[in-house]
Amino acid sequence: MGLIENLKSYSEGVQISTEKKELFTSFMSKGFPTTKDEEWKYTSLKKIVTKDYNIENTGEIIDSSTVEKYSLGFDNRIIFSDGKLIGSPNIKGVSVNGFSNFGSNTTDSILQLNKALAQNGFTISVDKNTVLESPIEILFFSTTENNFSQYRNLISVGDNTEVKFVERIQALNDSTSMVNNFTQINCAKNTKVEYNKIQNNTPESRLIDTVNVYQEQDSTCEINTLIFGGSFTRNNLNFEQNGSNCESNMNGISILDDNQLADNHTFVDHKSAHCRSNEMYKGVYLGHSKGVFNGKIMVRPDAQKIDAFQSNNNLLLSDNSTIDSKPQLEIYADDVKCSHGCTIGQLDENALFYMRSRGIGIEEAKAVLTYAFASEAIENISVEEVKLLAQKLLAHKLNVDLDFSL
Amino acid sequence: MSEQKKQSEDELLEKVTSTEYKYGFTTDIESDTIPKGLSEDVVRIISAKKNEPEWMLEYRLKAYKSWLEMEEPDWANINYTKPNYQDVIYYSAPKQKPVLDSLDDLDPEMKKTFDKLGISIDEQKKLANVAVDIVMDSVSVANTFKDTLAEKGIIFCPISDAIQEHPELVKKYLGTVVPARDNFFSALNAAVFSDGSFCYIPKGIKCPMELSTYFRINEAGTGQFERTLLIADEGSQVSYLEGCTAPMRDENQLHAAVVELIAMDEADIKYSTVQNWYPGNAEGVGGVFNFVTKRGICHKNAKISWTQVETGSAVTWKYPSCILKGDNSIGEFFSVAVTNNRQQADTGTKMIHLGKNTKSTIIAKGISAGKSDGNYRGLVKISKGATNSRNFSQCDSLLMGDKCGSHTFPYIEVKNNSSKVEHEATTSKIGEDQIFYCNQRGIGTEAAIALIVNGYCKDVLNQLPMEFAVEAQKLLEISLEGSVG
Repeated sequence: MGLIENLKSYSEGVQISTEKKELFTSFMSKGFPTTKDEEWKYTSLKKIVTKDYNIENTGEIIDSSTVEKYSLGFDNRIIFSDGKLIGSPNIKGVSVNGFSNFGSNTTDSILQLNKALAQNGFTISVDKNTVLESPIEILFFSTTENNFSQYRNLISVGDNTEVKFVERIQALNDSTSMVNNFTQINCAKNTKVEYNKIQNNTPESRLIDTVNVYQEQDSTCEINTLIFGGSFTRNNLNFEQNGSNCESNMNGISILDDNQLADNHTFVDHKSAHCRSNEMYKGVYLGHSKGVFNGKIMVRPDAQKIDAFQSNNNLLLSDNSTIDSKPQLEIYADDVKCSHGCTIGQLDENALFYMRSRGIGIEEAKAVLTYAFASEAIENISVEEVKLLAQKLLAHKLNVDLDFSL
Repeated sequence: MSEQKKQSEDELLEKVTSTEYKYGFTTDIESDTIPKGLSEDVVRIISAKKNEPEWMLEYRLKAYKSWLEMEEPDWANINYTKPNYQDVIYYSAPKQKPVLDSLDDLDPEMKKTFDKLGISIDEQKKLANVAVDIVMDSVSVANTFKDTLAEKGIIFCPISDAIQEHPELVKKYLGTVVPARDNFFSALNAAVFSDGSFCYIPKGIKCPMELSTYFRINEAGTGQFERTLLIADEGSQVSYLEGCTAPMRDENQLHAAVVELIAMDEADIKYSTVQNWYPGNAEGVGGVFNFVTKRGICHKNAKISWTQVETGSAVTWKYPSCILKGDNSIGEFFSVAVTNNRQQADTGTKMIHLGKNTKSTIIAKGISAGKSDGNYRGLVKISKGATNSRNFSQCDSLLMGDKCGSHTFPYIEVKNNSSKVEHEATTSKIGEDQIFYCNQRGIGTEAAIALIVNGYCKDVLNQLPMEFAVEAQKLLEISLEGSVG
């Protein structure tokens, strides 16, 4: 059968609008992207989409201890079970609702599929002049076996607000599940938004995650992506700067082992003058893991005085790990400062020797150096709990028991 | 920036972008041409005119057949009207083939052309110690220093002669690095190439002089399909120069060359190019389409170094590459690509690491002015077996004017965990603080820009052999006149 067949038979059973039907037809005519597609050159979906999935969710009740297990313990929590909103916080100035059928035109087949079939997700709107101290935690749980779920989320932030989010997608069984998640973030003037993604799902889970950020004047938006789990992760992160003095920040950490694959695609579209972007992606690859990075910075004509920085650093720590990196610059304005750097290498032998000669075991020494390597990106995260989790997961992946909070 | 200074900079840019191509002239020599278009018959005619052996004709026909099945690539970041391949003349040779006992025998018209280009053959013969194999519209008309080279056993001749005189070498190596089926343009070249250079350096020989050829496109509407095959046998060493200028034309001219380098164990090849084909006028009318496939293979401990200064062509599509097959082999790529007016360049390199301890260095400098677009596109591939390999890439772009574009597309693929790859790229304009610093010290803005651009390109220009460095600087001057001193 395969996913395409599953989707086809599912679509025959549901009632959807003509617009959505058109989108679905358009998706079906194109299908999932293949490696012939430039944006998917290094990442093959073939093995994933030939499997069978349940498109419909059964939706089991989950108990609070399960929630606690995966939560970072924030007060404000939005909880989904199989896409259904089962817990939403009461915060002054913030309204949290379930799925809303917001539009956005796209030619991307995966987003077309999402728009056509998604029926779950959240809609958050934050009132003007709201400053939230504590982050809003978003938890997506899925209980159905071999589930293919699609979430469609919208965050609209009013002028002069400051808000943080922590998101986690978690399957509660070990079946081969897949999520197609789409989040749109609209940042109004003079806002500060931070969105943290913890991608530490079960070993058989797959994720295609797209975030589109639309920024107005004087806004700052930061997206942090921490990839530790899941067999397949593809992140598409797109920023569009529509006003002057915008800042877009991206930090990414991928620590992979076994047969994991993580593909980070980022795109910053500098449409207005006097804007900045900073990008830092770090990857550590163990086992048979594979990393892909594709970062694109576009500076449109007349978007002068742009300062764009991008770096992608990778550590290959095993014989069978691979990395494909493609940092791209497309510049159509002259008064800009754009740079990118990419490195691929190993831990410094001399540094390892130095530590070992002072009685630190090889595993610990490697862990310390690896942590030091990744910490540059971790340091940029402002939510303390997320930082600690990143450190804990890093130590766990490297098989050492180290306390990094020195 | 003060209003006045801004104005002077604008004037400067205006001047830079409005300089006309200086080398646009046509030599009036009767040519022997065949009808337009490409067909099996045309391939047969070309082969027959060259009096080629049967195996060569078969090679061409096979290439032609695979070309028919191929599509013109469109992945490069360039826009142009695809040439009508049936509207191109595929063969033209000057009718009168001069016997070159001395330079006085040379057609006075042709001699004048060379003089205009600033290549004085006799001067070069005496002073520069350079053997020049001048290719004019696909047929070699001048070949000097052959005797000196022959003493050492070095073969340096037009490839059509090599096919006659050294068929075993040509047969063994032709198409081994760039197979006919490699891409659309290489297939086209393999089918219709009319001439080019062949060079063979025997074992252990260090070539005593810089070998060089000049290519020129002359006959209106004639595509130039050059084929270069350079073989450096074990332990040999050679430095090869290639330079191009083309006369002014209003219709686009097609240039699809193929260059193959073979560096056997311990061999060292240095291949330098100064390219100044006609770029079209300020509106982008006319100009040469330069679709070139250049590739070299390095065996054990061998080294290939590509240096290029690209200032011409309306459209450039060129990726000189190194296949580092042997252990400890080295690949280098140094490039300055200047685009002005409406020129478009999509150029870069491929470094394919297969052997152990292989090293590669990429230094690419782009300068975009006017309404042009410059692209760097490169691939660094470290395969699983390439332990302890090393790559360093640096690609910088300098933007002059607010209507130009500069883009970078590096592909990095690493499958070996003991290798190190570093890549860095920057895009910026000439810093106002740099110009201010020079101004402060009494250096005018124009001279300051010249100074900065020269310094910016120094890493690459330093790689060129002496004779070429002068010419390269001349070309930079012409391309960016008013800003480069």
